[in-house]
Amino acid sequence: MISVSDIKVTFGKGTPLQKQALNGVSLTIEEGQFVTVIGSNGAGKSTLLGVLAGDVIATEGKVTIGTADVTRQGTAARAGRVARVFQDPLTGSCGALSIEENLALAARRGERRGLASALGPQRRALFRDRIAELNLGLENRMRDRMDLLSGGQRQAVSLVMATLAGSDVLLLDEHTAALDPGMAEFIMTLTQKIVSERKLTTLMVTHSMRQALDYGHRTVMLHGGEIVLDVAGDSRKTLQVEDLIAMFRKMRGQTLDDDALLIG
Amino acid sequence: MSLIAFWGAVELGLVYAFVAIGVYLAFRVLDFPDLTVDGSFPLGAAVAAVLIIAGVNPWLAAAVAMVAGALAGLVTAVLNVRFRILNLLASILTMIALFSVNLRVMGKPNVALINAETMISPFFGHGLRDFYVRPLFVGVLVVIAVIVVWRFLESDAGLSMRATGANARMARAQGVNTNKQIYLGIALSNALVALGGALFAQTNGFADVTSGVGTIVVGLAAVIIGETLFGARGILIALIGCVVGSILYRIAIQLALSSDILGLQASDLNFVTALLVTVALVLPRLRRGGAA
Repeated sequence: MISVSDIKVTFGKGTPLQKQALNGVSLTIEEGQFVTVIGSNGAGKSTLLGVLAGDVIATEGKVTIGTADVTRQGTAARAGRVARVFQDPLTGSCGALSIEENLALAARRGERRGLASALGPQRRALFRDRIAELNLGLENRMRDRMDLLSGGQRQAVSLVMATLAGSDVLLLDEHTAALDPGMAEFIMTLTQKIVSERKLTTLMVTHSMRQALDYGHRTVMLHGGEIVLDVAGDSRKTLQVEDLIAMFRKMRGQTLDDDALLIG
Repeated sequence: MSLIAFWGAVELGLVYAFVAIGVYLAFRVLDFPDLTVDGSFPLGAAVAAVLIIAGVNPWLAAAVAMVAGALAGLVTAVLNVRFRILNLLASILTMIALFSVNLRVMGKPNVALINAETMISPFFGHGLRDFYVRPLFVGVLVVIAVIVVWRFLESDAGLSMRATGANARMARAQGVNTNKQIYLGIALSNALVALGGALFAQTNGFADVTSGVGTIVVGLAAVIIGETLFGARGILIALIGCVVGSILYRIAIQLALSSDILGLQASDLNFVTALLVTVALVLPRLRRGGAA
């Protein structure tokens, strides 16, 4: 289970550029629940994800992941609890390292790293099997440098990397946004498979309302640093993208002019 | 070039191979342009020379020199990581300070080690001529250093250091304390450079406070020559490239300086060095058609 309670994040406090990115957000995600988060640019999606990942330390409020209070912990300190796939394929993996080295790095996420060889025969075989499951033919390129792969291939490997070590939550940060539609579809199918097989507690930030409703158990909409919509169960099943837009308009009392929300 | 001059160049190349490996760790693995080496090389020489003269076991003296180098590197890393001083500037500050430190360590600008018991002296007089013994001895140490650094960089701990240099954000997301990796990497780098300095003092019979000038360029030259020759094909090849690059660099310098046609003198060394590094940097670019 993960929970954030009454989180406030202020950037540039006391300066003319002061911005209230999150304004009292509370959200509890049960074990095994898959939550999708939508919102326009500047709504606070990325900040919320950052607060969970440790990139952003909340100005006020409390963050709990699993059984631990991680409010004050930095990214590296809580990495053992948080698996993550970034929006930019170049961020989530190390271009200068080989595929198998990236996997070896991820397999020890949050653990002590010793002087033993990172790639023994057993680990090599394990990594090869896991990559072969992707059916992308990458199992024959395990020693290739990561930067030889396409963006989609890198995201697929990143997803495998995220599941090599245990975690209390999987964070997906618009992880299909930089991909072409075909590859985005593939990555989403893969995500669905991995999340349901491993019963991962997941928070996926997305720009696409379609994705937000098609995947997961629950959808949260952010606007202006606050949660303006939180639907799950039957009421979510009947929900259409059009309803979401209408709801959004009604709630904010303003016209929606962000095309990005409609795409996909 | 005479046989002795040739083996002398190989020996010097092997001594500077430690510098090249150190520079490789800082510049390539950690992506940290570290000029501390211009100070930590003579620091290693000074510490080793002073201790040897004081009667300390030369192996222990070299070990202490490595610790001194590691501490110098740590100062640079702390200035950068803890106090947010730009890495290049932080290293220049340490380098400048080390000049004074080295003078303090030695008490004078130059310390001679003639007739002192060094790491190499037990190996002299066993039938092999001295100018073979020295490169052979240093060569064995270089091989050990290459293997140790190679195995480290391919271990779990080494992977986190490489990730820190290549993609710090990703490294942190994997639970790597990137600050600690920079401390460790820059300390290790300068420890190797200081060991190079300690061996330089023992093979050449002196430690000089000015011997550090241009160390970084020499180290970088070796790294770049190695990369130009071997390309990017893994850690071990890159490390071997550093060693081969360092030796070839010394031979090239020796050839340039000893060729009568060019009419160069020893004082032209720095110019030739700069020219060689420039050529090594430009050549691969020309080969790619100048597009990059």
